[in-house]
Amino acid sequence: MKMIRAIVRPERASVILEELLDAGYPAVTKTDVVGRGKQRGIKVGNVRYDELQKEMLLLVVEDEEKDEVVKLISKNAKTGEGVYGDGKIFVTPVEDVYTISSGVQEL
Amino acid sequence: MKEIMAVIRMNKMNETKNALSEAGYPSMLCKKVTGRGKKMINMDILEDLIEGKEIDNPHLIETITENNRFIAKRLIYLVVHDEDVKSVIDILIDVNQTGNMGDGKIFVCPVDDAIRVRTDEYGDLAI
Repeated sequence: MKMIRAIVRPERASVILEELLDAGYPAVTKTDVVGRGKQRGIKVGNVRYDELQKEMLLLVVEDEEKDEVVKLISKNAKTGEGVYGDGKIFVTPVEDVYTISSGVQEL
Repeated sequence: MKEIMAVIRMNKMNETKNALSEAGYPSMLCKKVTGRGKKMINMDILEDLIEGKEIDNPHLIETITENNRFIAKRLIYLVVHDEDVKSVIDILIDVNQTGNMGDGKIFVCPVDDAIRVRTDEYGDLAI
């Protein structure tokens, strides 16, 4: 299984979540985060903002579903060609998953 | 080393903390998150609610809003030795299990390395 952590623009998060629901991936955890990227934040006038508000979506899927989910998230997170700040997607391995309510070891 | 990530109910946080520290796993990181699960809305319970019937089980009320609406949960992270994974998971399931939907999930992920900043220790020594 794979854990997908996507850092996206807060205003795109609801669209992505809707699309994930339609595509059959209802289970998602989301949390507000702040961060900066390679461009070292945004410079407006003399002020540099390097703690930009983003939203992190966390979901765990089977190995074969990974590509579809990543494609779906990146398609909907994009705001235009060559625009910085659309976010990043990280994929990490997950060894075991337990459902607490039943105690069963499955996703 | 393994990282254990568990999404649990907000109101189980204190019990979980106590149980883990009694068993000798006091160190953890926790975060308020919102989440939704796999289960669909149960229309029968919704209709009962609209008709004004009382629902005995408070967890059921949480369950019916599970699907589309995001509900508040706690996400806890623990990094433990390989041999401790089983006992930590047993504790987490034991404390948090109510048998209803929305109890949460536990994920076990591999960790390559750990560093204790204070002493510069690496690997298993740092945990």
